[in-house]
Amino acid sequence: MTEPTPQSAADRGPSRPEPLPVSTIEELCADVEANVSRVIVGHEDAIEHVITALLGRGHVLLDDVPGVGKTMLARSIARSVDCTFRRIQFTPDLLPADVTGVNVFNQKSREFEFNPGPIFANVVLGDEINRAPPKTQSALLEAMAEEQVTVDGETRALPDPFTVIATQNAVEPNQTYELPFAEIDRFMKKLSLGYPDPEEETELLGRAVGHHPIDSLGPVTDLETLVRARETVAEIRVEEPVRAYATRLAGYTREHARIGVSPRATISLLRAAQARAALAGREYVVPDDVQTEAPVVLSHRIRTESRDRDGDSVVADALEYTTVE
Amino acid sequence: MSTDSRGRTVDVDLERSVGAGPFRLLALACVAALIGSYVWVLREVTQVVGGTGSLLLLVGSMLVAATVLARAIRPRTATAAAIVVVVVGFAYYLEATGVGVDAALAATGTILDDTAALATGLPLLRMVEAGLWTLGFAPGPAFLSWYLAVRGRYALAVVPGGFALLFLVLTGDAGTTITLVGTACGIGAVGFGELERRGGSVAQADLLAVVFAAIIVLSLSVTILPGEDGGATFSGGGDGTLEGTIDTADEQSGISGQVDLSPEVRFTVESEERSYWRTGVYDRFAGDEWIRSGPLEEYDGSIDGPPGDPETVNQHVTAQTELGVLPGAAQQVGLEGPPVRHAEVSAHGQPQPADTLVEGDEYAVESAIVDPDPDELRAAGADYPDHVIDDSDYLQLPEDTSSEFEEYSAEVTADAETNYDAAVAIEQYLRSSKGYSLEVDQPSGNVAEEFLFEMDEGYCVYFATSMVQMLRAEEIPARYATGYTSGQEIDDGEYVVRGLDAHAWVEVYFPDHGWVAFEPTPGDAREDEHNDRLEEAREDGHDGVDIEESEDVPISDDEDDDESEGNEEPNESDDDGQADDDDPNDTEPDDADDGANVDDGNGDDGASADAGSDDGFDPREVVTITREQLAIGLLALVGLAAGVRRTGATRRVRREFRLYWHGRRGDPDEDAQRAYRRLERLLAREYRPRRRGESSRQYLSALSAAESVDPRTERVARCYERATYGGGVDREAADEAIEIVDELARERLPLLDRF
Repeated sequence: MTEPTPQSAADRGPSRPEPLPVSTIEELCADVEANVSRVIVGHEDAIEHVITALLGRGHVLLDDVPGVGKTMLARSIARSVDCTFRRIQFTPDLLPADVTGVNVFNQKSREFEFNPGPIFANVVLGDEINRAPPKTQSALLEAMAEEQVTVDGETRALPDPFTVIATQNAVEPNQTYELPFAEIDRFMKKLSLGYPDPEEETELLGRAVGHHPIDSLGPVTDLETLVRARETVAEIRVEEPVRAYATRLAGYTREHARIGVSPRATISLLRAAQARAALAGREYVVPDDVQTEAPVVLSHRIRTESRDRDGDSVVADALEYTTVE
Repeated sequence: MSTDSRGRTVDVDLERSVGAGPFRLLALACVAALIGSYVWVLREVTQVVGGTGSLLLLVGSMLVAATVLARAIRPRTATAAAIVVVVVGFAYYLEATGVGVDAALAATGTILDDTAALATGLPLLRMVEAGLWTLGFAPGPAFLSWYLAVRGRYALAVVPGGFALLFLVLTGDAGTTITLVGTACGIGAVGFGELERRGGSVAQADLLAVVFAAIIVLSLSVTILPGEDGGATFSGGGDGTLEGTIDTADEQSGISGQVDLSPEVRFTVESEERSYWRTGVYDRFAGDEWIRSGPLEEYDGSIDGPPGDPETVNQHVTAQTELGVLPGAAQQVGLEGPPVRHAEVSAHGQPQPADTLVEGDEYAVESAIVDPDPDELRAAGADYPDHVIDDSDYLQLPEDTSSEFEEYSAEVTADAETNYDAAVAIEQYLRSSKGYSLEVDQPSGNVAEEFLFEMDEGYCVYFATSMVQMLRAEEIPARYATGYTSGQEIDDGEYVVRGLDAHAWVEVYFPDHGWVAFEPTPGDAREDEHNDRLEEAREDGHDGVDIEESEDVPISDDEDDDESEGNEEPNESDDDGQADDDDPNDTEPDDADDGANVDDGNGDDGASADAGSDDGFDPREVVTITREQLAIGLLALVGLAAGVRRTGATRRVRREFRLYWHGRRGDPDEDAQRAYRRLERLLAREYRPRRRGESSRQYLSALSAAESVDPRTERVARCYERATYGGGVDREAADEAIEIVDELARERLPLLDRF
C-alpha cells in the first residue's frame, strides 16, 4: 500500500492533496460503478473506462448513434461524485462565448462582470460536439488542453477536477464538422457504447418506465476524495518494462499506419493504465493494464491509408505482435 | 531482467563488435606466421648447409625495415624495393656460385630452366649453393608481406608470402604441416583483416575457426587414411623395407626406423671380382636424410675415374625385376648396353638409368677398383684437391651438430696419426660398440648423434651415417654410399642379389687414390640376420626369392659361415688385396667382430622374439596414437566445438539445463523472474508457448481455461509481476516461486520422476 513517506509528501509541496490508499480507490470505484449501474444497464466496460479517464485526468469522447445512453452515462457519473455538472449542446450556430462565458456590463456597478459559461464545471458534457463549427470546437480545445479559458484576453482557470465527456454524432456526416485531428488527440479515450443486448434492453425499459432512476441517484463520494484519488493514481508505479512496452506499441502503430500515435497518446495510455491498475487495487502497472486501455486510447489517433483497415485493427495487431516482457 | 534476457546479455557480449585492435593483432600475427612458415623451411635448409644466423638476421632486418617504411613509402615504391632486394640477392648468389651476373643476364634461359626445375620438385638442398640461394630468396617476400600487413592490406600481404610458400611447396621442401600452417595463416590474415575492417565480432570469428579446423583436419586426415600406397621407386622397394629406405628417391635417401627385408631377387651380376654393387652416392646430410646435391648430366660414353691408374673390373648385370638403379662395383667408368642409353651421371660419378630397367635388361659395367694398400693410404696425406674440399659438401655437418659429437669423434680418433688411421678407428669403434638390428625406433633429430649417443643397435644406414659424420667432424672428406652387398655366389663369379642385400656404407677420400670404401656395419650379424630372413622366405614359398640357378644353392649359412665371414671381413668390397693383407688392422676388427657378434646374438634374440609377436599381433600398433593424430584430434575437437557453438547447440543445452536447475540465487527480483521464465518454458513444452503479445496473466489464464494447469503457477506469475513491474519482491517470495518451479520441473523431468 502506498503509504506516502514524509519525504515524498514534502516533495509534493503543501498544496498537493493527500493521496488515498490504493485499496480505497478500488472500493471507491466499485461504489461509483455500482451507483452508475443503477441507471445504466450493462456497459460495465464503458463505465470503467469513463471512471479511469476521470482518475487519469483525461477526457472522453463517446462516439455512437443517438439514444444509447451517452448523456445518461456522463450524468450519472457526475452525480455519483457529487460535483458540478454542465451540459453543452453543440449546434452549428453555437459560438465560443456560449461555451466559455462572456463579460457582461453590470448596469448597477457600471462594470463588466464575467458571466461564466457552461464550461466552468467539474464534469462537462459536450453533446454532439461535431455539429459545432471548428471555431467553437477550438474554444473547447483550449479548455481541455490547458484546463483554463481565455475570454477577452483574460485567462481564467477551470475548476479542478475538470473532465470533458463529449459525444459525437456518427449518423449524419453531412451535417457535421469533422473534429480536427489535434482535438481528437486531446481526448484520452474514444468509446462507443453500442446497443444493449436484448436482456439488458428489457431491463432498461423496466427501469425507464415511471420515474427515471437518474433523479434518485445520489452521490457516493465527494469532490475531495476524487481529487485525492487522482493523486494516488498519479503515483502508481510504471516500471521501465511497461514504459518500453508502451513505446513499442506506439512504434508499431507508426510503422503500420499513415499516422501513428503521438507521444501524448503514449502518456495518455500510461495514465489510463495507472488508473486501471488502481482500479484493480494494484500499486503498479502491468502490461495487462496497458493492453486493456490501448484500444480505446490509441485507436482514434491513428489514420490509416486504406479503408478496410482502421485504427482498431492496427491497435489489435499491435497488441498481438508486440512482445510483452 | 530475466533468464532469457540474461542469456541474451551473454550473447550480446559475444556478438558485440570487438574493437579493431584484437583483430588487427590477430591478422598481423597470421601474416607473421605465414612469413615464419617459409622462413622455417628455408631455415631447415640453412641448418644443413649453414647460414641460419645470416638468414634470420636478414629476415629480421627486413621486417624492421618494413615496419619503419610502412608509413613512409607508397606500396608501389615498396614493391619496387622488394624486387630490388630480390634481384640483388640473386645477383649475389650468382656471383658467389661463380656463374656471374653477366652470364646470368646473357643466359636468362638457364635461370628460367633452374627455376622451372625447382618448381617441379627439385629440393633446395640439391642445389650446390643452397644456403646462398635461400639468402637471396627470403628477404624480398618477407619485406613486402610485412610492409603490406603493417599498412593493413592483409589480403595483398598474403600474396607474396603465399607465393614464397607455394614455391617451396613445389620444390618439395615445405612439409605438410608447414604448408598447412602457412595456408591457415594466410586464410586467417585475410579473415581477421576483414573482421577488423568491418568491425566483426567473436561470434563471427568462430566461423573462421570452423573453416580452419575443416581445412586442417580434412587435408591431414587424407594422408592418415589407410589405402594410400607409398609409391616405391623400384618394385618391392616399398617404404617399409631396408631397400626402400635406402633408395626411395634417387636424389635423397631417407633414414627410417624399423625396416623389413625383401627376399626377392633384384638382379644378377657376373663379375670377375666380388664387390659391393653401388647404386647411389650422397654428400649432404640433413639430420634425418641424405641428399645428393648438384645436377645430373647425361652419360657421354665415359665417367671420370679415380686418380692414378687403378685396376679395372668388368661386370655383366641382368635385372631380375624392375630396377630404377644401375648397380655396379664402385667407380663405374664405362657402361654399355641398351638400358644405359640416356643414362645420367651424378656429380659424384654415379650413373643412373633414365628409364626404369625391366626384367631381363642387361648391361655391362666397367669399374675402376680403388684398392690401395693401407700404407699407401697412410701416406696419402691430407692435401685434398679443391673439388673435394671447397666446392662440395664432403665436409658438411648440419648446423645443429653438437660439440659433444665433435669431441667424441676426436676422442675416438685420438690415437690416429693419419686420416686413414682415423677412418679405421671410427670404423672399428662402430663395429665393436653397436649391435646390428633392423628393429629400431626412428630417432628424432640428428641421426648420427642419436645413434652414437643414445642407441645401442642399428642397421647399416645408421652405422654409415654416423661414420661419415664422425669423419667429417675430423675434417676428413667422406660420403655416404648406397647399393647392395655382393649377394649370394651361385657359381664362380656369378652373384644373385636380393632386396635384402640392400646396404649402405662409407666412402672416404684419399688424395691421389680417390674414394675408398669403408664398412662400419658389423658384417656377421648382418649376414646372419639376412640369411635368416631369406630362409624364412624360402620356407614360406615366397615368390621371386630365387632364380632358376640359385634355387638349389644353399644360402651361405652356418656351414659357409667361415667362408662368408672371410669374404665379408674386408672393410669394403671384398677386394682381397686390401682386406687380406690388412695388416694388424685386420685382426683387430676380427676381434671386434666377434664381440659384435655376441652382442648381436642377443639383439637377434630380442628381434626374433619381436618378430614372433609380429606374427600374432603387436599391441603397440593397436594403441599407438601418434602426436599428429592427437593434434588432429584436438583440432577436430576445436572445430567441432566452434561449429557446435555456431549452431547454437551449447546454448540449447544450457537452456535445457537451466530449465531444471535454477542456479545460483542472487537478487530476489532476478530470481523471481528467472523462476517465471523457467515456468514459462515448462508450460510451453507441455501446452504451448506464450504468444508474443500475451502478458503473463493472459497466458496463464488462457492455459487455465483450456487445460488443468497447476494453480501454483499463478503465484509464480504474480511474484514475477511484482518483481518486474512492481517495486520488487522479497527473498521469501522469490524462494517460494523458485520452489514451486523446481517442484513443477521435477514432476516433468523425464527420468527423475520415477524415483
